[in-house]
Amino acid sequence: MLSLQHVSKTVDEQTLVSDVSFDVEAGQCVGLIGPNGAGKSTLMKLISGMYDVSDGQVLLFGQNVKRWSHKKKAQRVSVLTQDGLAPYPMTVYDTVMMGRYPHLKFFQRESADDLNRVDHVLALTGLTDLKDQMLDTLSGGERQRVAIAKAMVQEPDLLLLDEPTSFLDIGYQTEVLNIVKAWQQRTGLTVLMVLHDLNLAAQYCDRLILINQGEIVKQGSSDDILTTETLEAVYRTTPQIVRHPIKDIPQILL
Amino acid sequence: MMAKRSTLWLTIIGLLIGLLILMVLSISLGSAQISFTTVWRVILSHVPVMGEWIERDWPDSTATIVLDLRMPRILLASVVGAALALAGALYQGVLRNPLADPFILGVSSGASFGAAMTFVFGIQMVWIGQMTLPVVAFICGFATLMVVYSIARIGQKVRMETIILAGVVVQAFLGACLSLVMSLANEKLQTIVFWMMGSLTLTDWSYNAVVLPVIALTAIVAMMFTRELNMLGLGEEVAHHSGVSVERTRFILLILASLMTGAAVAVSGAIGFVGLVVPHMIRLIVGSDYRMILPLSIIGGALFLVGADTLARVSLAPRELPLGVITAFLGAPFFIYLLRQAKREYF
Repeated sequence: MLSLQHVSKTVDEQTLVSDVSFDVEAGQCVGLIGPNGAGKSTLMKLISGMYDVSDGQVLLFGQNVKRWSHKKKAQRVSVLTQDGLAPYPMTVYDTVMMGRYPHLKFFQRESADDLNRVDHVLALTGLTDLKDQMLDTLSGGERQRVAIAKAMVQEPDLLLLDEPTSFLDIGYQTEVLNIVKAWQQRTGLTVLMVLHDLNLAAQYCDRLILINQGEIVKQGSSDDILTTETLEAVYRTTPQIVRHPIKDIPQILL
Repeated sequence: MMAKRSTLWLTIIGLLIGLLILMVLSISLGSAQISFTTVWRVILSHVPVMGEWIERDWPDSTATIVLDLRMPRILLASVVGAALALAGALYQGVLRNPLADPFILGVSSGASFGAAMTFVFGIQMVWIGQMTLPVVAFICGFATLMVVYSIARIGQKVRMETIILAGVVVQAFLGACLSLVMSLANEKLQTIVFWMMGSLTLTDWSYNAVVLPVIALTAIVAMMFTRELNMLGLGEEVAHHSGVSVERTRFILLILASLMTGAAVAVSGAIGFVGLVVPHMIRLIVGSDYRMILPLSIIGGALFLVGADTLARVSLAPRELPLGVITAFLGAPFFIYLLRQAKREYF
């Protein structure tokens, strides 16, 4: 589905990402974790095509997509950025409808089918009651839900999430990730996400990739990554690892 | 959604009827008063089929005033107003800056400089005759945009903040060049100053014939980008990831807006305020959806400028006021009123 082969990125002789290789299989949910400035967001931008790689290559669906048009790519890949949607005075409905854009030809009107898909997604994300509200009247959490709905309407095969929960309270954090999880189970979507919260990463991801100073430190299950020694080396603090009493996965205490 | 679309069309039809009435009213006003119904009958008598039913009981001079003096001017006012307002809306949308107007990237400064040179040196190209002035102005305006764009381009990307700064700098530089030309101009000074204030006095049908196709064509193409403009509003990255080719869309829209502006400025001088205020008024009334802003700006700009030009002609008749003065006098207070009424951030 997604394959990075010896990817490096250098800007003004400063190495942001160096020789990173990993694969994400179809239907997996993989988490990218690491301290601030580790190069996680840069890596996401290299994958989404916002930045060009300096060396190595990024293969999506087995192909180098550099020459794909924006539209063609957006038909198969949705991206949720850290900043999310600007608080622009546009209704929730019209914003979610924009997700259909890559599937429409230039100046083609939305069909009844498009309208149905939007209604369906609004229902799935619990936005039906908010659909006539303007984006700038919503809270940050609600706006992030709109962003996910828009990505969902895009009907991608791969979803890239760059810290989708960073400005949200714990209620919205789990809500956003539960929506993504349910979506994944429904459609077999592949997800790659950057997460700051290691406990959430352990709960929602099948596999974790730990990055530091532009390089992969370790990848594997949450049990492999969330150990005191590994985290201590990267985060310069000594967390305690405990077991989640119900889900039987490692969780950290500070 | 569907309801919104039909409301939009009803509004557009209503406003177009209003525009038509205003234009006919404007034709009937002036130093020679012609009744509203006579104007209608003179115009309709030239419509095929319908013309045969109308008895031509007016003097020839009336027909001349209506058809050859006032109509071309008022038509041009509506076209220029529409072009400036649409260009303003496009610049504001693409540059994501509420202060943007059709002149922000130096198009009008370039055109004014070209026009001033034409006046001072008496340039006259034989094969285009009296069209020399608008053609030179248009070319200079467009060349200025190209200079600004290439200054702001770094690699493949053009940052919107950079292009605004480049525009401001080039504008200031051309302003200085213009001052230089004017200080050397002597007896032509008054012509240049009058042209720069914006005026539709020298209009005849040939201006319409040249400008109307340019503006109509660019406007039609621009209208196809409403969806992309809305997506740019949600943020550059969001638009990019939704499949919009951000750089290309911006480039095309800036070119279109500048072509419109160049064409409008070339025939009427730099008429201020229309392109800044009309799109804002529309935005304050209908919100930020460019599917509504663009068509309504076109009609709003036409209404605004026809109204302003009428006032410029009749308020101190027989003396004619500069059009730019009227647009500012009308636009500023109404805009301030709307701004105070707006309950939340709207841009």
